[in-house]
Amino acid sequence: MEENKPLLKVQDLKVSFFTPAGEVKAVDGISYTLGYNEVMGIVGESGSGKSVEAYSIIGLLQDPGKVTGGSIEFEGEDVLAFTPAQMRQFRGNKVSMIFQNPMTCLNPVYTIGNQLTEALTCHDSSISKEEAKKRAIEMLELVGINNAEKRMNQYPHEFSGGMRQRAMIAMALICSPKLLIADEPTTALDVTIQAQILELMKSLQKKENTSIIFITHNLGVVAEICDRVTVMYAGRIVEQGKVNDIFYRPQHPYTKGLLTSIPRLDEDGLERLIPIEGTPIDLLDPPKGCSFGPRCSQCMKICLREKPPFAEVGEEHISACWLHFRDGLPKGDEV
Amino acid sequence: MKEPFAKLSPFHVNPDSILETFGLKEDDFASASGEEKESMVEMHKSISYWQDALRRFRANTVSMVALFVFLLCLVFAFIGPMLIPYDYSEQYRSSQKLGPMEYSKNEETIRALSKNVEAFYATGLRPGSLTALSKGNYVISYKGKTYAFTLEKALDKSVIVMQSDAEDPLRLVKESNIKDGVYTDYTAIAYTETAAEDATVLKLRTYVFPHVFGTDSQGRDIMARTMYGARVSIIIGVVAALIVLVIGSLYGAISGLCGGPVDFVMMRIVELIYSIPEVLIVLLLQVVLKDPLQAWFQSGTSGFVKAMSDLGAGIVSIFITFAVLYWVTMARIIRGQVLQLKKQEYVTAATALGASNTRIIAKHLLPNCIGPLVITTCLQIPSAIFLESFLSFLGLGVSAPMASLGSLCSDALETITLYPYRLVFPAVILTIIVLTLNLVGDGLRDALDPRLKK
Amino acid sequence: MVAYILKRVAGSIAILLLIMVVTFLLMNAIPGSPFLTEKSTPEQIALAEAKYGLDKPLYVQLWNYIKNYCVGDLGTSLKMQEGTPVKDIIFHQGKFALSIKLGACALVIAVLIGIPLGCIAAYYRGSWIDGLLRVLTTVGVAVPTFVLAALLLVVFSVNLNWFPTLSGSLPDAKSYVLPVISLSFYYTCYIAKLMRTSMLDAIHQDYIRTAKAKGVKTHILVLKHALRNSLIPVITYLGPVLAGIITGSFVVESTFSIPGLGKYFVQCVLSRDYPVIMATTVVLSALVIFMMLIVDITYKLVDPRITLTAKEE
Repeated sequence: MEENKPLLKVQDLKVSFFTPAGEVKAVDGISYTLGYNEVMGIVGESGSGKSVEAYSIIGLLQDPGKVTGGSIEFEGEDVLAFTPAQMRQFRGNKVSMIFQNPMTCLNPVYTIGNQLTEALTCHDSSISKEEAKKRAIEMLELVGINNAEKRMNQYPHEFSGGMRQRAMIAMALICSPKLLIADEPTTALDVTIQAQILELMKSLQKKENTSIIFITHNLGVVAEICDRVTVMYAGRIVEQGKVNDIFYRPQHPYTKGLLTSIPRLDEDGLERLIPIEGTPIDLLDPPKGCSFGPRCSQCMKICLREKPPFAEVGEEHISACWLHFRDGLPKGDEV
Repeated sequence: MKEPFAKLSPFHVNPDSILETFGLKEDDFASASGEEKESMVEMHKSISYWQDALRRFRANTVSMVALFVFLLCLVFAFIGPMLIPYDYSEQYRSSQKLGPMEYSKNEETIRALSKNVEAFYATGLRPGSLTALSKGNYVISYKGKTYAFTLEKALDKSVIVMQSDAEDPLRLVKESNIKDGVYTDYTAIAYTETAAEDATVLKLRTYVFPHVFGTDSQGRDIMARTMYGARVSIIIGVVAALIVLVIGSLYGAISGLCGGPVDFVMMRIVELIYSIPEVLIVLLLQVVLKDPLQAWFQSGTSGFVKAMSDLGAGIVSIFITFAVLYWVTMARIIRGQVLQLKKQEYVTAATALGASNTRIIAKHLLPNCIGPLVITTCLQIPSAIFLESFLSFLGLGVSAPMASLGSLCSDALETITLYPYRLVFPAVILTIIVLTLNLVGDGLRDALDPRLKK
Repeated sequence: MVAYILKRVAGSIAILLLIMVVTFLLMNAIPGSPFLTEKSTPEQIALAEAKYGLDKPLYVQLWNYIKNYCVGDLGTSLKMQEGTPVKDIIFHQGKFALSIKLGACALVIAVLIGIPLGCIAAYYRGSWIDGLLRVLTTVGVAVPTFVLAALLLVVFSVNLNWFPTLSGSLPDAKSYVLPVISLSFYYTCYIAKLMRTSMLDAIHQDYIRTAKAKGVKTHILVLKHALRNSLIPVITYLGPVLAGIITGSFVVESTFSIPGLGKYFVQCVLSRDYPVIMATTVVLSALVIFMMLIVDITYKLVDPRITLTAKEE
């Protein structure tokens, strides 16, 4: 029903940081759409621009950062044209966000309850204190915090890391937003807690019908939760497709590199892990051609001169690499 | 499984015409060589921490201006006294209570004369209680020639005028004979070209130097005193900061490095000193130390004791105060830094690789502590200057005839309603010194510790 | 919490005792006895001997001195007001009350003006308001109290004649103005600077980003989320402020001729009236230590993280 009208439509988004050393193009023209009730993973190493991109959707870019081009449409509305007041209403209400480090993301001097109800009251001033409290307790219970009523009056430092992230999720979902942006929500947590939080997000996503943009550098997490995956490198999308395509039929050498650099349990386990050579490029002075070129084992002369265009290598599966144009075919079914 | 090339939308290119479509050359799809790849990755020239810090400091306009102004203050305090003919301790009897740029009657007369003569020596500009030249041998060097002469009797209210091309170049003029800048009568002074051994050198002048900041009630030149006071204040500030640096950093480093019970005990001592209201103790020390210090000055004969006694009991007790009470902040900062560094992985790695303690301290801890050390020391100077001026203002601190900016302000306050400018000059210099040092310290902090700057 | 307060009270008493001992020993380093001068009358010598046992060993004297202080006997003045009990001089001649009134006003002004100024500067960071405040506060912390006091005196009392030249015992509100401004100016500027830095620091914290992501209004963001967190370093600084205001009162009271304890203390130091110096040092130290105790406890109240753990640092 909503296939034609995407929830979020990002087009040719460009974000730059104007530092004393020069302009850093953190996001250099990315486009994608996100449907209702869809979970998309954005994968990339640090500095690939994945968080910056997400922050610009919710208007939280920090000071030297600026959107320099492109558009972001949310349910047909131009997010970039919002006035500060509109943006404020938009945040938390329609789009909310959870962050990487639950230890520092909650205000240490206010109780959990205070911070939860605040999310409600700042969007709906008519809501009574009791109602807000009731809803907050409901949310806490929903995210699996026991003894919610007592927990409401506790301070963040009395919560464990996993508990805090649960509280953060409760806070993000308390206004029933249509889109949740999760910026590495499990990175700072223990592995067992990670699994619990992912499980929780998965079930909540089904229950609340929320779309999620899941930003991570952890491919395992992506496989667990996402419907579609966007792989970013140096501020650009290198490959995008359904989660199975990305995992089983990766086309871009970078994606392939990522996949061969992590251990897999479904293979016989004798293969060597192959790291990606080199280090991420300097965004202050990016190479002229393909950003990944200098690190790519199959790099060609053209790669160093021209940026590769996207090639549609499968259904809803695109990849930006000159190799597709040389070989004329995606070599599927191999990793 | 092979897909037709045409599916590669949005381009829908024909595989045969791919080169034309993109305007590519035949060999573009050949593998790139390693060098070609390397050449694309232009590594930025890496710069060292200190170069980076220097760059950051230079880019900080406020701090650079502050540094420049502070250097001007240094010139004022240390080179200034050499450039002006007045001495901070001398009283110019005829020139009491002059305003800025004012001349006494006597000075006016000579000033008028100075415009019409080549060079002169005026007894009226002499400092001290006697504005007279006593009898004896004198020598004047002028334009490469030596003029030696003997005064048979003391000379006062007179000007020795030099007219080098005249037959009688040295002329003695009575002040009473000067009218509107011209002298009406003179006696020639007989001279020889070889000076007697005990001859006193007289320096000729060509103009009367103004009292730029005026003079005080005893006829002392306020600019000379302000220069001297600024010098004393700066020296006190620097020495006190160095004392704090040495004691504080050693204490902090030992505490941090040893850790365990040693650290515990040492930090309890720091906390104790920290909670003592220090200024009360400072005042107490000023009172208590005065007599023992005087006794010590008189008993000792070594160079150190001599130097200390030149400074006076007030200043020495300020130093002692700093050595006793003011090092705690430095100690805390350095201990914190050492503790933080000790936890760093690279230090653990160095230990695991078998580096000795000395090596770890020299290679890892020391370089990383230099930033906080420099910053804290720099910011300690103005606080020491502040404390000294506070004490001098209360009548403790430096004692006359020595002057510091604080004691000058204190002196000026007695006559504040009549001569407000006497307060203004030392107060402004004091404020500028403290302000610029604060700004330079802030700049250093931003430059050396970029983590602190958001 | 109670345990923490008890611990801090005990610590404060220990420090005060230490200050008493240090004061006594320092005074003892002066030739003669702290309770006598070169010109003490035989009467005074007899009195002091009876009281402190001047012929007895040092620790006995020390013990007597502490014992006397504990029961409120602070000795007798030897020079300034010969023969008058120090306790009367400090507490019953209005000196202490006068200094406290002055200091309290200065403290309140410094906090009430400094904190909002710092918030405003941080809120309008980079604007001309921020620039102006930064210049003002930076210069403000470089002007010594005595210079400011003197300048205010000359400009507003002598030249403009708006305020009395001699503030005296602060009979009316008008006479408070200049002394309080002089006394609080440095600390107002310092607190404003500290508040600005602390506020900017807080604004960059993750929890502010969280609150923003929730859609919290900007002023609530600053007043609720950033302010309370950024107050913590300011509160820790209040201890030194108090000590500084007491010190500053020496200068201000001298400049404006206010017969308070500060001015009297300086006079005693200059005329070496040892019993008064000792007693005043101890009383003022006690005051500072007591206020620091209060500050510390307030600090724990503002920051819930520390309340429960009651740990140092």
